[in-house]
Amino acid sequence: MQTTPSINTLLPAAAAKPKRFRKRGKVTKWLAITWLVLLTFTAVGASKVPWVYHDCSQFAVKKECSTHIKGSAFKSEKPPVWATFSESSKKLKGSPARAGFFGTDTNGFDIFSRAMFGARNSLLIGFLSILFGLLIGGAFGLAAGFYGGRVDKIIDTIMNVFLAFPALLLAIFIVGFFSDSSPEKAANRSIGPIILALVVLSIPPLTRLVRANTIVYAQREFVTAAHSIGAGNTRIIIKEILPNVMPAMLTFALTGMAVLIVAEGALAYLGLSVNAPSATWGSMIFAGQKKLENAWWISIMPAITMFLTVLSINLLGDVLSDRFRVREAIG
Amino acid sequence: MRYFGQKFVQLLIVVVAVTFTVSLALAAVPNSKERILATKGGGAITQADRTAVLESLHLNDGVVQQYGYFVKDLVTVNWGTTFGGNQSIRTSIWDGLKVSLRLMIYAQLLALAIAIPVAIAAAYRQGGLFDRISTTMSFGFLATPNYILAPVLILLFSITWKFLPSQSTDAPFFDSPWQHFRNYVMPTVVLALPLAATYMRLLRADLVNTLQSDFITTARAKGLSTNRILYGHALRPSLFSLLTAAAVNVGALVGGSIVVETAFGLNGLGRKTVEGIFRNEFRLIQITVVVLALVYVLLNFFVDIAYSWLDPRVRAARTLS
Repeated sequence: MQTTPSINTLLPAAAAKPKRFRKRGKVTKWLAITWLVLLTFTAVGASKVPWVYHDCSQFAVKKECSTHIKGSAFKSEKPPVWATFSESSKKLKGSPARAGFFGTDTNGFDIFSRAMFGARNSLLIGFLSILFGLLIGGAFGLAAGFYGGRVDKIIDTIMNVFLAFPALLLAIFIVGFFSDSSPEKAANRSIGPIILALVVLSIPPLTRLVRANTIVYAQREFVTAAHSIGAGNTRIIIKEILPNVMPAMLTFALTGMAVLIVAEGALAYLGLSVNAPSATWGSMIFAGQKKLENAWWISIMPAITMFLTVLSINLLGDVLSDRFRVREAIG
Repeated sequence: MRYFGQKFVQLLIVVVAVTFTVSLALAAVPNSKERILATKGGGAITQADRTAVLESLHLNDGVVQQYGYFVKDLVTVNWGTTFGGNQSIRTSIWDGLKVSLRLMIYAQLLALAIAIPVAIAAAYRQGGLFDRISTTMSFGFLATPNYILAPVLILLFSITWKFLPSQSTDAPFFDSPWQHFRNYVMPTVVLALPLAATYMRLLRADLVNTLQSDFITTARAKGLSTNRILYGHALRPSLFSLLTAAAVNVGALVGGSIVVETAFGLNGLGRKTVEGIFRNEFRLIQITVVVLALVYVLLNFFVDIAYSWLDPRVRAARTLS
């Protein structure tokens, strides 16, 4: 975001971080990594791992396709097994009072299983968007930082146009205009427009970051040396500058992915992401919000899953940016 | 003056690009004409009406003419009516804007009221217990999307303790301040908490820097009270990034409260936009997006100008870069 440079760039640099933080940081770091690894593993293998219930692939549009818990496939909302303080509003004979880690939703589907299939969508969309954003934004940023002058000005103007729209509004605009959102067509909405919208959101900050880092390296001696032995500009950018910019890029991409997962959730919450039967976290939270009164777990459990994921990614991003000394505050 | 000129040219380029993109987006909509006519009333309307609708949108003209008509309509506030229901788009946007603006002002005030004292207390004893607690909490709030915070608050305050309505209505302030408060408090808090976390981090970082300056040591040596030093001496030079962020957020919040408005059922501008998308109200969306983007761009422009006027160093730094 283009803001006025803050005055503190003119003041002496901040004192080094106190060492006290370090030990606690280690524990949380490993907790965050564990959570992300478990989540990715379960999400990728959602139709194979034994603790996710599934009768068929989530991509099929068949009615009977379900994620019922074996032996309790009754259509009712049941609280999670550990929630002894909650009761189901509809009690059915012959079925347990509580079921699953996360409880079951109105159709009797296991919320944990649905959240894991949802993680598949959320993570896939987040990953693909940041990947494309990285390619496009990275290319723009390298060009702007390396060539400077007119190229820099033009690219800066393009980014200003992107940034002229409030972020979520732009995403809604793109998804709404480029996909057929009339109710009868909404069922087979593809992830294409969603990814397009998220890529557009991710390009400007990535460009800014890569540009700032490129400028630093473009003046260094090894670049001048490469010039003097007759290396071409493309070669210098790819072989000399890119490897140095990479750590900052990847660190920022990680936190950027968290932002995009949240943004995708917001689109899903507004009903503008992939539709049932494929779930994403946002749509699950939205679907459960009308039922908060009788069955809080339907929206709170996916919300907790998402919260932990975003928190873990942010923590990890912080650790990485400390490690690689990424000092570029964006936003 | 040269700085102003540069900024102004940039502003013009962005404004033209924004309006151009939005005006041409209609052409990119898959089978737009059919959808617009379907919203208008499908087979129930006469052929004359159909041509009139399509004519008013200039869909058959060339790219440049389309853009020309769009800008002309925009400037003359000839915004037309919604396709379904024939309501005036201008009143619709104005009504929504009132709700969104109110929400934005409340959220900004609350966020600043939380962030400033917390940041001062945290920066005063950097690395202390309060600093660590508040930093951790701000980290948590930053990781909480507002569509997660909203159901949690509804669950606690509307369902468990039954204080507040789970769906807000736009109760006028002067009829009953208490009802107004009850309806607006939860949306405001949901918007304000992540904002307060951002502000707190910005201000804390700047304050930590300021507190190491010589004039703070001088003030302490003079024997001024801690409060006097913190609020009287340290706060003002540290406010720069905070105020910039707050100003930029004015524009971002008006368009960014979409999720909160949906969660609490407030009829703000954001919610109307989303509903418009489901009802194929392309014209309404185009106008709303352009209006919001222009407000946002102009605000940023004024912020930039105001800063260069307040602090000549900024102007110098910009001209150099």
